[in-house]
Amino acid sequence: MTRKSSLEGIESAPRWIFLFLGAYLIVHLFALYFWNAAGHVFSIEGTSGGTSALSVTAMAAVGFWLCLLVLRSFPAGAPLRPAWMLITFAAGAQAASGALAQLLGSNWLLNPLAWGGPARSGLIEQIRRGALIAGGPFQLALLALGMLVALKVLRKFGFWVRPSAADWAICAIVYLFALCRFGEAGAASLAGRQFGFEDWISLAGLPILCVLFLEAMLLRQSVVHMGNGLISRCWAAFMCGIFLTGAGQLALWVIPHYSHAWPIEMIASLIQFATVAVFALAPACQVAAQRRAIKPASDQPEDLATNVPALAR
Amino acid sequence: MHPRSATLIAFCDAEGRAGRSLRIARHLSKCEKCRDQLARIRREKDELSARAAAPEMENGQGLAAVRSAIAAWQEGRNGEAASELRARLRWQIEAYFGSPAALAVDRPSRAEEMLGKASEMLEVFLGPEAAEAVRDDVFRGVDWAAPAGEACR
Repeated sequence: MTRKSSLEGIESAPRWIFLFLGAYLIVHLFALYFWNAAGHVFSIEGTSGGTSALSVTAMAAVGFWLCLLVLRSFPAGAPLRPAWMLITFAAGAQAASGALAQLLGSNWLLNPLAWGGPARSGLIEQIRRGALIAGGPFQLALLALGMLVALKVLRKFGFWVRPSAADWAICAIVYLFALCRFGEAGAASLAGRQFGFEDWISLAGLPILCVLFLEAMLLRQSVVHMGNGLISRCWAAFMCGIFLTGAGQLALWVIPHYSHAWPIEMIASLIQFATVAVFALAPACQVAAQRRAIKPASDQPEDLATNVPALAR
Repeated sequence: MHPRSATLIAFCDAEGRAGRSLRIARHLSKCEKCRDQLARIRREKDELSARAAAPEMENGQGLAAVRSAIAAWQEGRNGEAASELRARLRWQIEAYFGSPAALAVDRPSRAEEMLGKASEMLEVFLGPEAAEAVRDDVFRGVDWAAPAGEACR
């Protein structure tokens, strides 16, 4: 059989993603520390916002590309193809959302829609809203569906185990957070306070996040049952990505309740980048496993027995 | 006049002409010495036939022995290959899934069952091309033939 040996270096994709994530976190945490030590003398939000959003979008695009590579390796009829298709759509939605929000959904100099003056501002706002929906509830829903299909396949192979008490406890925290958010939103609307479009989108994503968290806990049990192999790492990365999404939303909701001094946008971008990188790590691990399998084993001894006809064996 | 030994042998084999055979038969009825010689020729001929038949039987037994030896050697070799195959499969499953998965796959007692389950798992989670490459690596250098009629892929 002729093995495809293109994209030789792609098996090191997980390492590269880890490297970028580590560098990104170190730089931002150092900036945060420096900003705090300097006594908040400069605005850390204004300097990092655009770059962070672009980094998140770039990492989302990398994740989408890796998902496409994985999807190509599963032919029609393969049990995991629907799961990878939904995951790819979710990654695509996230990348498209970032690109639309950054390129066409903001009033920056190179946005052609911004050149048309105030007449086009409505269109820019619509694009921004569309991007928010695509990168929010829509992406989460696609991911939840993909995970559901994957869990069914894992169950077929006996890797599916009931969640433990700790899993239920973690899920309960997220459900409680969702309830608090809905309660807060209800109280705000009763008090006649204005509720922004971002808040509505964020609320719409919460029920899906609850479902995703339950799936993540099931996935965690399946991965524990499977072991620490290359494929297991792929599904573990999805589990971590979902966990980071929930934990990030929780952190971004809790921090303003305690302190307004923290640069919330910077923390949000840190969490976003970490989440997107971990989600990109999942297809990267899958691609690495596939490349490792199809890599020509030139260092292995030649099989003399293969030249012997089967009947003669 | 007594017939020569060669004539008697030809008579014994019924190879002579009818007239000549009649003459010899007439002589034999009168000559005891020639009758004894003919009896001796027949006895020797029977012994020779018996000796010729005996090695044939020995050859048959030898062939059966060779066949059973080949089967035993093949079984032993297949057993060795099967255990080698199991070890390789376990290693591959451990690399791609992990130790618990390898233990779960290793449960079936026969190598063919293990191979079938591992192949299915690899094909589902890794994709057909990569799974085939892993199978190639598992079979590399292993002289193992699956029993007839058993699907191992």
